[in-house]
Amino acid sequence: MSRRGYLIKRVLQAIFSLWIIATILFFLFRMGLPDPTAALVTEGLNAEQRAAIRAQFGLEEPLWRQYLLFLGNAVQGEFGTSFSYRAPVADIVWERLANTMILMLAAIVLAYAIGVPLGAWLSWRRGSRADTTGIFVGLMFRSAPMFWTGMIAILIFGVGLSILPTSGMRTLPYDADGWWDKILTLDFLWHAVLPVLIVALYYLGSPLLIMRNTMLEVYGEDFIEMARAKGLPERDILYKHAARNALLPVVTQLAVTIGLAAGGQVVVEVVFSWPGLGREILNAVRTSDFPLAQASFLIMAAFVITLNLLVDILYTTLDPRVSFQ
Amino acid sequence: MKRTLMLTGASIAALTAFAAPGAAQERVPSVEIFTTTESYDPIRYEGAFIIADAWRELGMDVSVRPLEFSTLLDRFYSEQDFDATILGWSGRVDRLDPQFFLGTLDSRQGGLGANNPGGYDNPDYDALYDAQGAEFDVEARQAIVHEMQELYVPDAPVVVLFNRDEVVAYNNTTFTNMNAMAGEALYSEWVPMEAEPLTDRATLRIGGPQEPDNINPLASTSVWGWKWMRLYYDRLVRLSPDVEPVPWAASEVTPVDDVTIDVTLREGMTFHDGEPLTAEDVVFTFNYYMESDYSYFDSYLAAIDTVEQTGDLSVRFNLREPSAPFATITLSQIPLLPQHIWEGIENPGELTPSEIPTVGSGPFVFDRYDRGEFMSITTNADHFHADEINTDAVEFVIYADAEGVFTALQTGQIDMTAWRLEPGQIPLAEENEELTVVSVPDFGYYHMTFNTRRAPFDDVAVRRALTMAMDRERMVNVLLDGRGEVGTSIIAPVNAFWHAPFIERFEFDMEAARAELEAAGYSWDDEGRLQR
Amino acid sequence: MTLPPFLRAAIVPLRIMMQDRLAVIGLCVLGLIIAMALFAPVLSTHDPRHINEIEDGSVLSRGVDGWELQESLGPLALNDAAHRAGEAIIVGRGGLAWAREGTGDWVPLDLPTEADLHAVALTPERRALVVGEDSVILLREGGAWTPVTAPEEVRLRGVVWLDGASALMVGTGEEIWLFDADTGAFTEIDSPVGRGFPLQSVALDVDGTALIVGERGLAVRYDPADGSATLERLGSTRDLNHIHIAEGGAALVVGERGTLLRRESAESGWSADDAPDTRAMRAGWIGDDGQAIAVGRSGLIMEWDGTAWQLVPTESERHLRALLVTGDEMLALGSDRFVSRLLPPSREHWFGTDHLGRDLFSQNVHGSQIALLVGFLGATLVVLIGTNVGLIAGYYRGRTETVLMRTVDVMYGIPFEPFALILVLLFQPSLTIVILAVSLLTWRTVARLIRSQVLSLRERPFVKAARVAGASDLRIMYLHIFPNVLPLVFLELAIIVGVSIIAEATLSFLGLGPPQAISWGGILHDARLSGAWRTAWWWNLPPGILIMTTVLSVFFISRSLEVVANPRLRARQ
Repeated sequence: MSRRGYLIKRVLQAIFSLWIIATILFFLFRMGLPDPTAALVTEGLNAEQRAAIRAQFGLEEPLWRQYLLFLGNAVQGEFGTSFSYRAPVADIVWERLANTMILMLAAIVLAYAIGVPLGAWLSWRRGSRADTTGIFVGLMFRSAPMFWTGMIAILIFGVGLSILPTSGMRTLPYDADGWWDKILTLDFLWHAVLPVLIVALYYLGSPLLIMRNTMLEVYGEDFIEMARAKGLPERDILYKHAARNALLPVVTQLAVTIGLAAGGQVVVEVVFSWPGLGREILNAVRTSDFPLAQASFLIMAAFVITLNLLVDILYTTLDPRVSFQ
Repeated sequence: MKRTLMLTGASIAALTAFAAPGAAQERVPSVEIFTTTESYDPIRYEGAFIIADAWRELGMDVSVRPLEFSTLLDRFYSEQDFDATILGWSGRVDRLDPQFFLGTLDSRQGGLGANNPGGYDNPDYDALYDAQGAEFDVEARQAIVHEMQELYVPDAPVVVLFNRDEVVAYNNTTFTNMNAMAGEALYSEWVPMEAEPLTDRATLRIGGPQEPDNINPLASTSVWGWKWMRLYYDRLVRLSPDVEPVPWAASEVTPVDDVTIDVTLREGMTFHDGEPLTAEDVVFTFNYYMESDYSYFDSYLAAIDTVEQTGDLSVRFNLREPSAPFATITLSQIPLLPQHIWEGIENPGELTPSEIPTVGSGPFVFDRYDRGEFMSITTNADHFHADEINTDAVEFVIYADAEGVFTALQTGQIDMTAWRLEPGQIPLAEENEELTVVSVPDFGYYHMTFNTRRAPFDDVAVRRALTMAMDRERMVNVLLDGRGEVGTSIIAPVNAFWHAPFIERFEFDMEAARAELEAAGYSWDDEGRLQR
Repeated sequence: MTLPPFLRAAIVPLRIMMQDRLAVIGLCVLGLIIAMALFAPVLSTHDPRHINEIEDGSVLSRGVDGWELQESLGPLALNDAAHRAGEAIIVGRGGLAWAREGTGDWVPLDLPTEADLHAVALTPERRALVVGEDSVILLREGGAWTPVTAPEEVRLRGVVWLDGASALMVGTGEEIWLFDADTGAFTEIDSPVGRGFPLQSVALDVDGTALIVGERGLAVRYDPADGSATLERLGSTRDLNHIHIAEGGAALVVGERGTLLRRESAESGWSADDAPDTRAMRAGWIGDDGQAIAVGRSGLIMEWDGTAWQLVPTESERHLRALLVTGDEMLALGSDRFVSRLLPPSREHWFGTDHLGRDLFSQNVHGSQIALLVGFLGATLVVLIGTNVGLIAGYYRGRTETVLMRTVDVMYGIPFEPFALILVLLFQPSLTIVILAVSLLTWRTVARLIRSQVLSLRERPFVKAARVAGASDLRIMYLHIFPNVLPLVFLELAIIVGVSIIAEATLSFLGLGPPQAISWGGILHDARLSGAWRTAWWWNLPPGILIMTTVLSVFFISRSLEVVANPRLRARQ
C-alpha cells in the first residue's frame, strides 16, 4: 500500500473511532442520567422551571433527534453551554486539557529520560545487587497507587518540610497573558515538581525494564560480540552500540504511552488540585453538568485518537521497517 | 404532656386497627432508606446505617441505598419514588424567617418537584401556614408558628436528625474582629467589611472548595455565586449580623398599609462606573427580574404586584397580599442593577462569562474572576459605608477540596475558610496557636423524610415508633463528635424566636417504640419480624 | 518416576520460576495475601465496621500545666461526686462508688445495688444519700448503706440536703420529692410546670431554698419554709444539666450547646455567657472569688478567666460529667462511653483506629477480599475476552479480523480512567460496575498481543499439518494454537491482575467503590475525607503498603512468566 493511501486510511479510521465513541457516550449518558436537571432542585427550582431548562437544552426532543443534534454540534466543535458554569464548554475544556497534557508530557519525558539510560546501565550490571535494587524500585513505584505516593509526598515535602507547594499550578494571584505566559515561569515549575515527579516515578518502571530486557537480548547479537572482540571499552559498547539498537521497543512503548496521556491521571489531579481535564470530568458528572462531562470526555477521546494517529504516522516516517499494514 | 401525646397517637392507630377485625397478620413491607454516597457526605451515609440497624431490631426489613446526589434528588423530589430519604436543607440567612421551612410540610407543595415530597397533608397546618404568612404582628405570628410546630411534630412526617454546627477557622495573627453569623459562619457579607487587619496587608484572603456557578445575577443559582456577588451589588436592605433588617441602599422603608410599602433611597449613591443610582434603577431591577426567565428569586418576588417610581429617590411597592417576610427577605435579597447597562440585554441568562456585566453599587468593586482559581474585589472608596470598612480588598482562592483549603490555612496562604472544616481537621486547627476555631450553630437541618403516601409510613404509629428508634444523640456524638444538636423541629432551636420549645422530643427509647407499635395493633412473629 | 507429558510441560516453567528469587518471594507474598482474604473473618480482631467505644472511670486532675489524666477508677463511668467534712464520694454506673478520706486513696464502696447512680450528697454529720436509675435511693446512717423504698417508680437525677435531716431529690418525670431521713417519709411536691419534663440537678441556695434545673431551660425554686415550688427564669430554653451554688452565693448552671448561666452573687441576676464551644456542658463549679470551671462532652473543659470563658486544652476524648473541688485539688470525672477515635496502634488495635473508632487492622484484612476479587475476576474476564478476540482475529483473518481489530482500535481511543469514572458515576457504584469498569477497556492490549502471536503461529508447520489432517477450525485454534500462546496469556493475566487491583483502589479512593464494601482504596478515601490523614500515619500507610506489596508480588511473578513466555529472554539469563 502506498504511503498516501495508508495515511488516508488511518485518518478515516480515526474519524470512525471517534464517531463510535461519541455514539457510545451519548447513549451511556441518556441511560445513566435520564433527567440531568434533577440536581437543580437544591437551588429551589420547581418542576416548571426545570421543564423550561430541559426545553432549553433540547431534552424534550425525541432521542434520535437529540442524537443527531449532538453529533451535528460536535462536528462543528459546538459543545453547548455548561449547565453550572453557564459558559461555552469548549472554552473551559481546552485550557484544562492543556493543563493535563503539560503534566503528563513532562512526567513521561522525565520517566523516559531517566528510565532508558538507567535500564541500559542495569543490564550492563545484570545480576548485581544494583540490578536487583533497580528492578525492585522500578516495579515498586509501578505497583504503588499514585494517589498514595502523592499523599505521602505531600505529607513529607508539603506539610512536613514545607519546601514544595502541594496544590494548583501557580501561586495566586498572578497575571498571565494566555496559557504560555502561565507555564513559562519558575513559579509554575515549582508547583509542577511534586505532581510531575509522582507521575514520572509511576511511569519509570516500563522504560527501565523494557530497556534492560532488550539490552540483554542485544548483548547476544553478533555485532556486540564483534565489538567486544575488537577490544572496545565496555562503556562504549553499552551506550554506542547496544543501546542504539535496543531503543526501538522503548520508543514503541513511549508512543503508546504518549497516545494515552490525554486520558491523564485523575487521581493525581485530585490529590494535587491540578486543574486538569480529568478532575473536570469528575466534578462535571458529580454536579450532573452533563454537557460539560460529555464534551470533556469527547474532546479527551478525540485528543487520544489524534495523538495515536500522529505517533503512528511519525513512527512510520522514522522507521521505514514498519510496514504500512 | 409526653404521655398524653403518646396516647393520642396510639388511640388513633388503635381505631384503624379495629377497622379490620380478625384479618390475618401480614408482614410489614420492607423499606429502603435512600442516602447520599459516602464521598458526598460521610455523615448522612453512616447515619443511614445506624438508623437501619435500630429499625431492624424493631423487626423491620430495612436496606440502605446510597445514591449519587443528583439521582437522590431526582428520586426524592422529581419522582417521589422513595420510602424514606435522608437529605438536608442548608440554613441560608433568608431562611431564618420561618416561611420557607414551614412550607416544606404544606400539602399544597406536595406535587412532583415541589418541596414536600413526603406528602404530609394536614388541612389545619395548611390553614395556619396561610395565616402566619399574612400576619404582620410579630408576636401573633410567633404564636401561629409555634402552634404549627406543635401540630406537626406528633405526626412525625419528617424526622429532623440534627442541626450540624458550622465549624470554621481564621488566622488570628492577620485579622481580627471576625464575627461569625448564624447560618453563614465567617463568610458572611459583614466579615469582609468588619475584619480589621493586624499586619500591613489589608487584603482579606478567603479560601474555599466551592466557587460560583457563574457571576451572572440573572443566571446564578448557587449560594456561592450570590455570597460573592452580594459584596459588590447593593440591596435596599441588608440583614445585620443579628439578622435584623437594616436600611442599606434605602434610607427608609415605610409601610403605608398592609399591601403598600414606600422606599426612599439614600442620596448620592453611584454605580462603580460613576453613573448615579436612582429610583429608576430600582424600578427597572425589580421589573427586569419579574419579567425574566430567571426563577431563582421567584418566590421572593411573588408577592409584588407592581413597582412604581414616585420620585427621584422614592419607590412604591404594591403587593398582591400582605406578606410578612417582604421587608426582611425580598428587599434584602434582590440586588440593584444599573439600568443603563442591563436594559439593552435581551437574553441575560445566556451571556458568556466575558460578557457578564459586573457593575454594581456595593461596598466592593469587582476586580477579576479566574475560573477554578481565584476571585478578587477591591474596596469602593465612594461607597457610603466606605469609612467603616477596614480591608482594602478581598480575595477568594478556590481549592479542589477541603484538604487544599486546610493546608492553605495552616501555611498562611489564606486568612479564613469559607466552608466548614472536616471533623479530623478541627483538632489540628485547635492545636494551632495562630488559628481561631469558630463554631456556629446552624439552623439548617438534616432530615429523614418518610413517604407518608406509602405503607408502612402512611401509619402515624409506625412513623412515631421508628422516630423513637433513632438514636440521634449517638449520631451527633459519634458522627459529629458532639458538634451539633439532636433535631427537634424544622425550625431549629438556634432560631430561638420562632422555635417552639415545648414540642414532643422523641427521645431514643426502643421500649417506647415497641409499645407504640403494639398499641397500634402490630405484633412480632416467631422470628421477631414486625407484622400487622 | 515418569510424569504425563502435559505435567512435565508445566514443570519446566515452574522450575524456571523457582530459580528466580524475586518470583518466589512474589509467590509467597501473594499466597499470604490470598490466605488473608480467605480467612479475613478469622484473622480480624474486630468487626471492621463496628464503632468501638470505651467506658472508663476517668479522672482528670488540674495540675500546673493544665488538666492531666490520672489513673483510671475502673471500667465504669463516674457520674457525680460530693465531699464534706474531709470525706469525698464518687458514684457512677452499675452501682459503682468510691470513697476517700482526706487525701488518701480512693476505696471502692460496696453498695447494695447494681443500678446506675446519678447523684450523691453528704451532710456534715456524714449522712449520705445516693440516688439513681430504677428508683434506687441509698441512705448511709452511721457506716451502713440501706436502700430506701421509693414511693413510686422513678429515675432520679439530683439530690441535695436541705438540712441535717431532709433532702430534696429530682427525677426525669419532673418529680420533686422531699425526703425525711429521720422518718423515712417522702413528700411529693407539685412542680409548677407539670408536663413531665426531666429535671437534672438541684443545689442549695444561700437563703436555704433549693434551685432545681432541668430540660428546656426549666428552673424551679423550692422553698422549704412554705413548701412551695415556683418557676424561675434563668434566661435560656436549652436543656440545663447541672447547677452549682457556692457558699457565698455565686452560682453556675451549665447545659446543652455550650449553655453557661452565671450569677455573681446571691443578689445579682443571672447572665448567659458566651461559650467558646457549643458542645454539651455536663457539670460546672464556681467559687465565690469568681473562679469557675465547666466541663462537658469530648474532654471539653472551660475556665472563666474573669472576663471570658477560655477553652482549656485537654488531650482527651473522654466525656466529663462531674467536678470535685476540694481545696486546691480540682478533679474532673467521667467518662461514659466514648468513641476510641484515631488511636495509634496498640495491643487492642494493632493498626490503630479511624475517625469513627473502627479497627483499622480488621479493615485492612477485609480490604484484601475486594482487591483480590476485583483483581482476579477482572483479569480473568479481560484475558478471556482478549484471548478469544486475539485468537479469532489472528486465525480467521479477513473481514472478521478487520471488524475485531477496528473495535480494538476504537477501544484505544477511550481514555481508561475517565471512562471508568463516567461508568461508575452514571450507574450507581456496585461491585459489578467496578469490575466492568476495570475490564471493559483493558482487554484491548491482550487482544493485540495474542493476535500477533497467532498470526505467526498459524503459518507454522504443525498447524498446517493439523489442517491437512482435517481438524476443525475450533480444534486447531483451541487445541493446537492456544497451548502455544498459554505462557503469554498467563503473563498478561498476571500483569492485568496488578492493573485491576490498582484500578479498583483508584475508583475506591475517588469514592466510587461499592458502598459499604471495605477496600484498601476506600480506607485511604476515608482517611483523606476525614482530614486526619496528615497526622494519622497508621491510617494511611498500611493500605498503601498492602496495595503495593500485592501488586508488586504479582509483577514479580509476571516477570518470571515473561521469561517462560519468551524463550529468547530465557536463553540470555
